[in-house]
Amino acid sequence: MPTTLKDLMNNPKEALLKGHFACAGCGSALAFRHAIGAIADKAVVVIPACCTSVYQGFGRGVAFDVPTINVAFASSDAVAAGIKHAMEKKGKEAHVVAWAGDGGTADIGIATLIGACDRQDNILHIMYSNNVYSNTGGQRSGDTPIGARTTTTPFGNKAQRKMVPFIMMANNASYVATASVAYIPDLVDKVKKAISYDGFKFIEIDASCPVAWKSDSADSIKVARLAVETGVWPLFEWDNKSNKAVLSKRGSKFRNKENRKPIEEWLNIQGRFKGMSDEEIKNLYADVDRQWTFLEKFLE
Amino acid sequence: MAEEVVMLTGNHSVSEAVKRVKPDVIAAYPITPQTAIIEYLSKLVDSGEMDSHFIRVESEHSALAAVAGASWAGARTFTATSSQGLLYMGEWVFWTGYARLPVVMAVVNRCLAPGWSIWVDLQDSMAFRDAGWIQIYNKNNQEVFDTTIQSYKIAESKDIALPVMPCLDGFVLSHTSSKVILSDPEEVYNFVGDYSDPIIEIDTGKPFAYGSIVMPDKYNKDRKDLMEAMERAKAKIKAVNKEFSETFGRTYGNGLIEKYGDDDADLTIVGIGTMADETQQAIDMLTSEGLKVNSVRVRTFRPFPTEDIIDIAKKNHKLLVIDRSVSFGHEGHLQMEIESVLKRNSIDTPVIGKVMGLGGEDVPYTRIAKVAKENL
Ligand SMILES: Cc1ncc(C[n+]2csc(CCOP(=O)(O)OP(=O)(O)O)c2C)c(N)n1
Repeated sequence: MPTTLKDLMNNPKEALLKGHFACAGCGSALAFRHAIGAIADKAVVVIPACCTSVYQGFGRGVAFDVPTINVAFASSDAVAAGIKHAMEKKGKEAHVVAWAGDGGTADIGIATLIGACDRQDNILHIMYSNNVYSNTGGQRSGDTPIGARTTTTPFGNKAQRKMVPFIMMANNASYVATASVAYIPDLVDKVKKAISYDGFKFIEIDASCPVAWKSDSADSIKVARLAVETGVWPLFEWDNKSNKAVLSKRGSKFRNKENRKPIEEWLNIQGRFKGMSDEEIKNLYADVDRQWTFLEKFLE
Repeated sequence: MAEEVVMLTGNHSVSEAVKRVKPDVIAAYPITPQTAIIEYLSKLVDSGEMDSHFIRVESEHSALAAVAGASWAGARTFTATSSQGLLYMGEWVFWTGYARLPVVMAVVNRCLAPGWSIWVDLQDSMAFRDAGWIQIYNKNNQEVFDTTIQSYKIAESKDIALPVMPCLDGFVLSHTSSKVILSDPEEVYNFVGDYSDPIIEIDTGKPFAYGSIVMPDKYNKDRKDLMEAMERAKAKIKAVNKEFSETFGRTYGNGLIEKYGDDDADLTIVGIGTMADETQQAIDMLTSEGLKVNSVRVRTFRPFPTEDIIDIAKKNHKLLVIDRSVSFGHEGHLQMEIESVLKRNSIDTPVIGKVMGLGGEDVPYTRIAKVAKENL
């Protein structure tokens, strides 16, 4: 039975308590609450340097109600693997989750990520992507879309988006999925499904950041939904047993370009794309097409 | 299985010790001259002779990160590295020390590039003397075996809770076979004890957060605690050395330093690692020539044996300190520490420093004797 919004209101245990420091409209905190909340009774989270190391709070006031280990930027999967191996050796059950941003996943952490995937360490990596290094003030990351104005690409990012889910598919992760803060029940189902797999699991969540995206904090869900509806962010699942990708119910109709809204609708409600040239918009469309072309190879 | 007497390299002396203490989790990455340690262990794990998890990580950074993770989860752990590998681990060396995880990591000392060289000096481990690790430098393969065992007993003591780095000179020890008494596995395990009551242990039923944002008051308290644990470690290392000698009949000075020769001397040669062992031969030679010289081997560089150095300096006319590592723009590391101890305690015994043996340069006892004579 797919998770419903009503189910979410009856979560037996909250992973995110009151008193966290996340900004209003933070997609990461929302995703944490529900993704980790779905497995809270047996979750152990490993957090590299990122916004989550800050918004969890501090001292006795830490707002995460699950064991939380904060670690160096490029090492979340290695630490998670060590924890999982130790707990296995001691006969203890746990869902060990490396919870990292796009910087800690796609850039500085990618060798560690793929290393853990190669070894099929029995952990789940959740990458929440706000498309920038938010913690340090919004610099470009490998997951920044073409055209985005960041603090290190003030005239627009030119580099293509690094599609980490595809990298993980190529490296034979046991389960790979994309999710969005606009579709929380779908995210919860994917987390629950992921932990039913042995070996290395990977989920990337499109997680709004009103500060870096220069969007209204009240629009966080709206922006994320538009990313799906414009085809910018395909929602799918894949596993290595079938080597087939399946589009998620919520996003499946956007496979057909005719059903997609123009990408400009997503661009226009965010300040980070202000001033994009026609050329840049064209390149962004092409980059989105590139992603779908890749994904199509795995769709029925 | 009882005690065995074998010809063994320093690397395999580490492995044999690790086999006996039965770590739960090992993670490592190859680098010369350390590699043989982990190759041997991976074979023992895969053949079922050892019941450990072996994580074949993709870098040293991940090796230490993984054993740190395992240590947080309450496991007994092991890793090993050398040189560039230790530098690459750097961020985690400090992290592990500051987190006070009882990790044991063998460091097979090798100089740093450029140019590429695989031979010994102590520049690699000395670069991490401030990272909150206990560092124990060894003189021969027997000591390497014994120190590795002792390291676990020191690291895992609840009143210490510090990572320990047993250090052995690359090639001089790591790849050279010599006689080693391998103590009975069960006796060794009993000496160290099991690690069923860990210093820290992740438990899904009892959530806690480790390493969150910290304010300066708490930060300073943690670092002060670390300083105090290091201070307590001196007595602990001595006690473990004593207990070890009572159990196995082998001893290394008082645990912190090892003296050689007559107490009353005109010149004391202070050294570290195998060069300090070589120095003992120089002492024999000089003594037979009627000269009044003795030597001191610093076994633990961290914690530094301050009280012993004061004691020695007070009794002697002159100290000749031989370093195998150097702080550019200043002087040898050992010399630096000794001078600071003397200065702080208003002892005016002259100290002469000599940096030798960098990049594996051979330093025979005859050369040490020559330097001693020049400074008598
Ligand atoms: C080795 C290292 N380099 C740089 C930093 C500085 N730093 C801390 S967080 C961060 C960016 C994190 O970005 P991301 O992973 O995308 O997470 P977000 O901040 O967006 O939540 C950087 C660059 C660091 N902590 N460690």
